[in-house]
Amino acid sequence: MNFDFTPDQYLLRDSVRRFLADQWGARKLRAAAGQWDPALWQGLCGLGLQTLLVPETEEGAGLGLVDVALILVEFGRALVPGPMADTLLASDVIARFGTPAQRASLLPEIASGACRVAFAHAEPGVGHTAQEVALAAVNSAGEWRLQGRKILVPAAQAATQLLVSAKPPGGAPALFLCDATGDRISIGRHQAIDPNSLLCQVHFDAATAQPIGAQPDADALGRMLETSALAAATQMVGIAAAALDIAVAYAKHRTQFDRPIGSFQAIKHKCADMLVALECARSSVYYASWAAAEDDPVLPLAVSMAKAACGDACRLVCNDALQIHGGVGFTWEYDIHLYLKRGKLLEYAFGDASFHRERVASIVLDGHPGASTVVLAETVPPSSRSPHAVS
Amino acid sequence: MDFLDTPAEACLREDVRHWLRDNLPAGWGTTVREPQDEAARSAFRLDWEKRLFRGGWSGIAWPREYGGRDATLMEQTIFLEEMARADAPEGFNVIGRNLTAPTLMAHGTEAQRQRYLPQILRGEEMWCQGFSEPNSGSDLASLRCRASQVGDGFVVNGQKIWTSFAQYAQWCILLARTDPAAQKHRGLSFLLVDMRSPGITIRPLVQITGETEFSEVFFDDVHVPAENLVGELNQGWRIAMTTLTFERGPEEALPRQVRFRRDLERLFQTAATTRRNGRMVAEDPVIRQKLAASYIDLELMRLNGLRGLSRVAKGEALGPESSFNKLYWSHMYQRMMETALEVTGAGSALAPGDPDAPAEGLFPYRFLQSRAMTIYSGTSEIQRNIIAERVLGLPK
Repeated sequence: MNFDFTPDQYLLRDSVRRFLADQWGARKLRAAAGQWDPALWQGLCGLGLQTLLVPETEEGAGLGLVDVALILVEFGRALVPGPMADTLLASDVIARFGTPAQRASLLPEIASGACRVAFAHAEPGVGHTAQEVALAAVNSAGEWRLQGRKILVPAAQAATQLLVSAKPPGGAPALFLCDATGDRISIGRHQAIDPNSLLCQVHFDAATAQPIGAQPDADALGRMLETSALAAATQMVGIAAAALDIAVAYAKHRTQFDRPIGSFQAIKHKCADMLVALECARSSVYYASWAAAEDDPVLPLAVSMAKAACGDACRLVCNDALQIHGGVGFTWEYDIHLYLKRGKLLEYAFGDASFHRERVASIVLDGHPGASTVVLAETVPPSSRSPHAVS
Repeated sequence: MDFLDTPAEACLREDVRHWLRDNLPAGWGTTVREPQDEAARSAFRLDWEKRLFRGGWSGIAWPREYGGRDATLMEQTIFLEEMARADAPEGFNVIGRNLTAPTLMAHGTEAQRQRYLPQILRGEEMWCQGFSEPNSGSDLASLRCRASQVGDGFVVNGQKIWTSFAQYAQWCILLARTDPAAQKHRGLSFLLVDMRSPGITIRPLVQITGETEFSEVFFDDVHVPAENLVGELNQGWRIAMTTLTFERGPEEALPRQVRFRRDLERLFQTAATTRRNGRMVAEDPVIRQKLAASYIDLELMRLNGLRGLSRVAKGEALGPESSFNKLYWSHMYQRMMETALEVTGAGSALAPGDPDAPAEGLFPYRFLQSRAMTIYSGTSEIQRNIIAERVLGLPK
């Protein structure tokens, strides 16, 4: 049993953290003023991040979602906007579900840094589950076309390709890829509470697209939804970690009643509870990242546990971090609101804590009504079963 | 990252399982359970400790020179996990094995080790812990129990409280004031006291569950020989602090979550078979949220434990996730038991033994027990202070 990262994985994390501390963070984010910064993308590509999940056969680094977990935490910590996170998830889903031709054309493009992907999934007035997708995929004369509107797409204006959830007639919603710069696509910016999230709405007017896989594949969309929920959870860990650091630093130097406010138990106990929530959230995303990397059957359960735990933790930590700041926490000038807002966006993306707790309940609680003995769902499948993972 | 045992670990796990199968009474956990009566249960647990010794499982983490197996933290965890999975009786001489023994190994004389360790290992001598006093709880260093140096030894006068197993113990690790003039942390000494000494009165305290697991202990001119001083005179605080680090090691969280999981399974089963408001309780969306939350809470406890253990296995210092194990599990178990009482509803008023009690009255009993968890071994308030000051570096 080894529930930890390798020294190499930590080294990569450290280099990403150093780069973002130098080249990004709240200061640069404010300077970018809600515009996409190509220099940030180039810098991240300089570190080779876009290659990580591309298989070695397609000129990538051939790593997995465990390797990426610590990087996504850093993205959260430094409030990195799209499209790098979605591009990483796209390379994972294309490598797993793409046809040989799609793999050969798209993955080297991603690995070269030329292809930037945004995932367009949310639609107005419905939830985030695959069944609720209404955007239509129509096949005429062997060509797929998309018709409809997507909202809350991160950094769509910076993307070269869009991964789109769409419903073919009579079939289950699946995952499609479409040129983000085509003339049958119009992209507009949302008025977002977090302008730096670069959220867009996208209108598809018979835009040509191709399904990921030879045919529209619901499993590809399923995978993308799981990894997107996981990536949101993972970034929330970084956001909460940064917010806690900022709050603790503030509590150490802010003086009231002739003492640092961090010497008061009212503040100390808040900070201790924030740390507990943060570290539990960390454990949950590490586990779900392992499940995603192994494509383990526990993945839906692990992702839902992580999304619920991280959503709750990020909310608690960001709210209390702002509270610890007192009045200045409510000002635009102090950075804490940047974390609060990005966290809020991710908290509700791809299912909130209540949604994911219900999914946990449906996995571990149902199927046993009236049963004389209920056996809790095992958390690791028989193939890799160790009593450490099965309790 | 992986969740697999090494071949050696898998082998150990199989050994433990095998031994437990052969040594637990037939029908254990289904038709055969621990005695309800406290005295009978204590005798049963003591007998189990002796059986563990005969099987070679007592003190497996101890060095070989003191009769242990030099087991690593991982091996110790595997052993305890399998014990928990089989619902084997909980330890009885936990103070002796987990607190006295490592303290003597760290600070005792060779003569003390030779005298006491074998008896602990064999389950022959039970220990209790005399630290807390009526006026010294969280502020332990303010304790007033006095050990005066008289001739060849000490004379102890004072009172201890919350002393678990005092009525069964032959020995007590006692923290007493030997220098009243010194600053409060610097005037304490760590003594080994024979509980059969004249002048000791044990008065069991009835807990909110009706049980009498702990007592108050009075010392009236109790003589303690000089050779029963551990470490140096007036160095007791430092020694007591090392004792307390043995109290909640990282090897403890994983077995504990196995035992908690049994309660959660029972809770799921109860929710799935209890009808209220025209449907099963397990179909109530609000209850479902809480049951799922408990499932997640418990999984996080397991995962935090695995993270901590992985670090220790690599020879690294414990991470922040280990500093709050106790704070975390005490509160999460309380939440789980609150949910359990919601599941059993009005029937939660019925105690074990009442034929109408849902789930044999397990949950109200566990609920009452859970209220102690955020108090013993350092209250949650003290735990939060420790985390804030030592992990986050906030000022005193």
